[in-house]
Amino acid sequence: MQRSRSIAQEPVSLKHYFTPHRRAIGATLLCAVVTVGCNLAMPLYIRWVIDGLTAGTLARPQLVHYAWQFALIALVSVLFSRFLRSVPLRISHKIEYALRNDVFDHLTRLDQAFYRSERTGDLMTRMSSDIVIIRDSIGQGLLQGMRTVVVILLASVVMAMADPQLALIMLAVFTPMVAVFFLVLRLMRRHQQELQEHVSDVSNFCQESFAGIRCLKGFALERRRNQQFHDLNAGLVRKTMRMQASRQVLWPFMAFWFNLGTILIFIVGGRKIIDGRLTLGTLTQFIQYLLYMQWPLLALSWVLSMLQRGKVSWVRVKAILEREPRIATLENGEPEPAALAASIGFGNVGVDIDGRTLLEGIDLEIPAGMTLGITGPTGSGKTLLVSLVARLLDPTRGSVSVGGRDVRQLSLARLRGMIGFAAQEPVLFSRTLEHNIGFGVAQSDAQLIGWAAEVAHLSHDVEGFPDQYQTLLGERGVTLSGGQRQRTAISRAIARRPDILILDDVLSAVDTQTEAAIMSKLRPVMAERTTLFVSHRVSTLRYADEIVVIEGGRITQRGTHEDLVRKPGYYAELDTMQQLREKLEAGP
Amino acid sequence: MKSAKRLLAYSLPYWRWLAIALALILFTALAINFLPVLIQRMTDQSLMDGSKPGGERIALLLRLGALYLAIAGLGHFVRYLQGMLTVWIGQRIIYDLRIEVFSKVLRMHQAYFDRTAVGTLMTRVTSDIERLQHFVTDGVVGSVADIFMFLGIMGYMVYISPLLSLCIFATLPPLFGTMYYVNLKLRDANRDIRDRQSRLNALLQEDLTGMTTIQLFNREASAHADFDQRNTDLRAAHFEEVRWFSLYFPTVETGQALAILITLVAGGIAILAGSEAVTIGTFVAFLAYIRDFFRPLGSLSDKAGSFQVALASTERIFALLDTREEVADPTQPETPERIAGSIAFNNVWFAYDKENWVLKNLSFSVEPGRVLAVVGATGAGKSTIINLIGRFYDVQRGSVTIDGTDVRHFSKHDLRSHLGYVFQDPFIFTGTVADNIGLQTPGLERDAVVRAARMVNAHHFIEALPRGYDTVLNERGEGLSLGQKQLIVMARTLAQDPELLFVLDEATASIDTATELLIQDALAKMMANRTSIVIAHRLSTIRHADHILVMRHGELVDQGTHAELMARDGYYRQLYELLRHAPQP
Repeated sequence: MQRSRSIAQEPVSLKHYFTPHRRAIGATLLCAVVTVGCNLAMPLYIRWVIDGLTAGTLARPQLVHYAWQFALIALVSVLFSRFLRSVPLRISHKIEYALRNDVFDHLTRLDQAFYRSERTGDLMTRMSSDIVIIRDSIGQGLLQGMRTVVVILLASVVMAMADPQLALIMLAVFTPMVAVFFLVLRLMRRHQQELQEHVSDVSNFCQESFAGIRCLKGFALERRRNQQFHDLNAGLVRKTMRMQASRQVLWPFMAFWFNLGTILIFIVGGRKIIDGRLTLGTLTQFIQYLLYMQWPLLALSWVLSMLQRGKVSWVRVKAILEREPRIATLENGEPEPAALAASIGFGNVGVDIDGRTLLEGIDLEIPAGMTLGITGPTGSGKTLLVSLVARLLDPTRGSVSVGGRDVRQLSLARLRGMIGFAAQEPVLFSRTLEHNIGFGVAQSDAQLIGWAAEVAHLSHDVEGFPDQYQTLLGERGVTLSGGQRQRTAISRAIARRPDILILDDVLSAVDTQTEAAIMSKLRPVMAERTTLFVSHRVSTLRYADEIVVIEGGRITQRGTHEDLVRKPGYYAELDTMQQLREKLEAGP
Repeated sequence: MKSAKRLLAYSLPYWRWLAIALALILFTALAINFLPVLIQRMTDQSLMDGSKPGGERIALLLRLGALYLAIAGLGHFVRYLQGMLTVWIGQRIIYDLRIEVFSKVLRMHQAYFDRTAVGTLMTRVTSDIERLQHFVTDGVVGSVADIFMFLGIMGYMVYISPLLSLCIFATLPPLFGTMYYVNLKLRDANRDIRDRQSRLNALLQEDLTGMTTIQLFNREASAHADFDQRNTDLRAAHFEEVRWFSLYFPTVETGQALAILITLVAGGIAILAGSEAVTIGTFVAFLAYIRDFFRPLGSLSDKAGSFQVALASTERIFALLDTREEVADPTQPETPERIAGSIAFNNVWFAYDKENWVLKNLSFSVEPGRVLAVVGATGAGKSTIINLIGRFYDVQRGSVTIDGTDVRHFSKHDLRSHLGYVFQDPFIFTGTVADNIGLQTPGLERDAVVRAARMVNAHHFIEALPRGYDTVLNERGEGLSLGQKQLIVMARTLAQDPELLFVLDEATASIDTATELLIQDALAKMMANRTSIVIAHRLSTIRHADHILVMRHGELVDQGTHAELMARDGYYRQLYELLRHAPQP
């Protein structure tokens, strides 16, 4: 809650995710200094032992002494080397966690328009792989970045002190190596991207073939399809080989470069040794540094490209965080009324979406306790109309009011708390049935759940389930039929005992007998509250106090069932057709 | 193990290449690991040998240095070649296997697809195969390379100094044990991460689809709490992974430090004792070996445990390859040049599932060139008739014949090349409009495609597309209306010039009146002079049919022409009245 307010005031930034970890970041630096320091000190002992042995000045007690010191330093280095890894990586996972939670929190505030414009798959990618890339670039950036910087600084000092000429050779060896490595890495990444695109082509091809298998078989296309798959696959092999041509270079190249460095040091240093200007110990010390510095320096190019990718991913994640919720409580300082009547008003409401007018000139006064039936052809705007009451979207023109108050001036929690909403294609969650029915109730009990299921004519079905109300829904549990899903949605809506009940074509998937049974139980519940229900069935609509017909976004007919069946128009047609169907179902 | 053996069979065609790869591995192991021996020679014979004159020592240093570089260059080059060869062999094996899996899936019968989710099949051809590929290249060949590398180093070490080598080798068992253990833990942790990540993703996916519901019921806070719970679980798994990962490299570093320490102490003591066997050169060479010694060890301990995972994928792939194809082709199929076009159902019984009969003792026949309409309520078994003629399923009892030959005597592929379908759900392939109509049929010219499109009234809107017939469509045919997609699909069927035509004709509410008229007209043209069966919902098609079958609950309740049936005032008349009042565009 606090966070999102701060977002509205200041630009979204990654910086404040680091703030709580300042001390841990300091600790990482300390670990890097100690580890690198120890690692640079260890070759010194090798040098002393070798020099002592060649000069014949080393006695056995001194050797043992060196050995102990070496062991101690190695121990310290290994210990800190562990923390050098665990501390920054833990930070990165903590930031990953916090970031993901914040994005989710923000997602729960975003409106329906946002979800219509974004594909779920894309949001999923940003929540998983993009955040993972951000995390990795933070963790590896801290770990490798700090270590590399410390290595370069400390090693330059130590090497310059040991032998400036050899130090220069090291510089001459490493600079081109890092550059070439960087180039090969870039080449590899480019080929990798091409390969990745080809891989997704192949998998799209498979997806399409399997999804369209009927069409494929119907047209006897298997042979042609197999041939195309052959070609695609051959391309896959070609692109893989191209990517590998650069990837396989990396390791032999690095190893060869190391050999080159070794031999350079041996020849230049060797001449000095023969001239008596250098000891073998010092030469060995440099070879050890060559070995030790190789990876941290190569990591430089790796980390740089990682940070680059992290930045791209952060931009994508930031885009979610920066999207302001369009449906939010209007803060005008007016106190919320203590009691609010359940009356609903539409004042000259019009809705445009993407430049198309979907609702126009809707004027309705629905007094508290009334049952309003809504019907009309598919796509005429019925669902849109009822969505306005719950502020799933705001009207483009005019206003919607509840209890005489513009809904935009009520808090969202308050407004939606008054409403029980059931949709034609309801979303149920992969939890227990009890959880789903009691979804909108803070404290649900078995009695309430049982009642809600009873009213929606669901309790009989539940008895057949393995664990009754504790049965899991979804893939891991019971898959409900369309009708059962709709009835669960009705139970969920009425379990809230709402002041306003909205049923959006919730009986479309049940047969007429079940429908009649549900209606007989639902009618008393509807009578106690303001009810809006959308339906295509005259048998349901007839119970409404008033019925409106919506065609092409406008109200074309209104009145009671008795009024409307007598007037020519959509409703009367609907009535005739329904009678015919009943006759047909009754059979000869 | 059985599947490992079977997998081996796929590498048999490439055994020559594998033998070459093995030779290259052997060469690399011998060449690269010889380098420290040269270092030892340089140290002992040039740098430390004060008995020779300086010039001679420098000349020797340069000579050995040049040899060193030459061997290093050659060794690493061969290693590169070997790497590429290994990747190539792996790719070839996977290429063969992937194609086998794909064509196997295409051969499966329709009922298999009713049962199996597309996602599952996708996993087989993508991630399972990929895992197998890693197993073949990195796992098997990589392990062999690691072992040779390791043995090469050990061999040279013993050659230089048996004493020092034995001291260092003594540290190997505990070290390898530790690394194996750490890798095991790392793998467990990674599995936990994957599990928890997918649990988090499942929740997220559901919440994103159901966000409106969550908001309507004021459940944002509890949704967040649930999410936080799984996010915390995931973080805990990550922490566990960090814990073991941060031990991995320090373990290797410990091994290296220990080996250096042993070299210093044991070597130093030996030199101090005046031993001939250990020289300063031995020292320097060993320091070089220690660097490479631990790398193959680490990667071996990593691979040792990953075999299990790969075997599971292998088994799943072979299970798919072994699945029985239920609608099989006859061994000696009939291959008629043309089909005259008479179709007959003889006492056909059919159920998709056990004894839930969808068709009960159905018999009827269609004369060549006639149009048969099948009407009935939803679930009467109408579309099953079409499925059986094309052998998407086979009948349980009775028979379906074309020109008097049982359809089970045809090969599916041949049979279907005579049949044309217009389904109610138009399927668009990724590709151009022309490809979608012509299906890249060999010998089918652009003219024929355009002619088919003109015939079904699709030419005008196709011409109006940004690139006409070359406009690229995606799988869902975005940018086209449903009616337009239906017209394209009809043109596709017509372009194949089928001898028998089957139409699932459903008046769809979302098609505008103008397009609807175009579709009706196109249907009439397609059915003219062609044996056709129409599962009819449009009054126009029903009225124009030569013969009408009235179906109810899998049984034929009536048949005749429209006029005859209407005169009888039975079930048909009621159906007809209903259709008349249905929202016709």
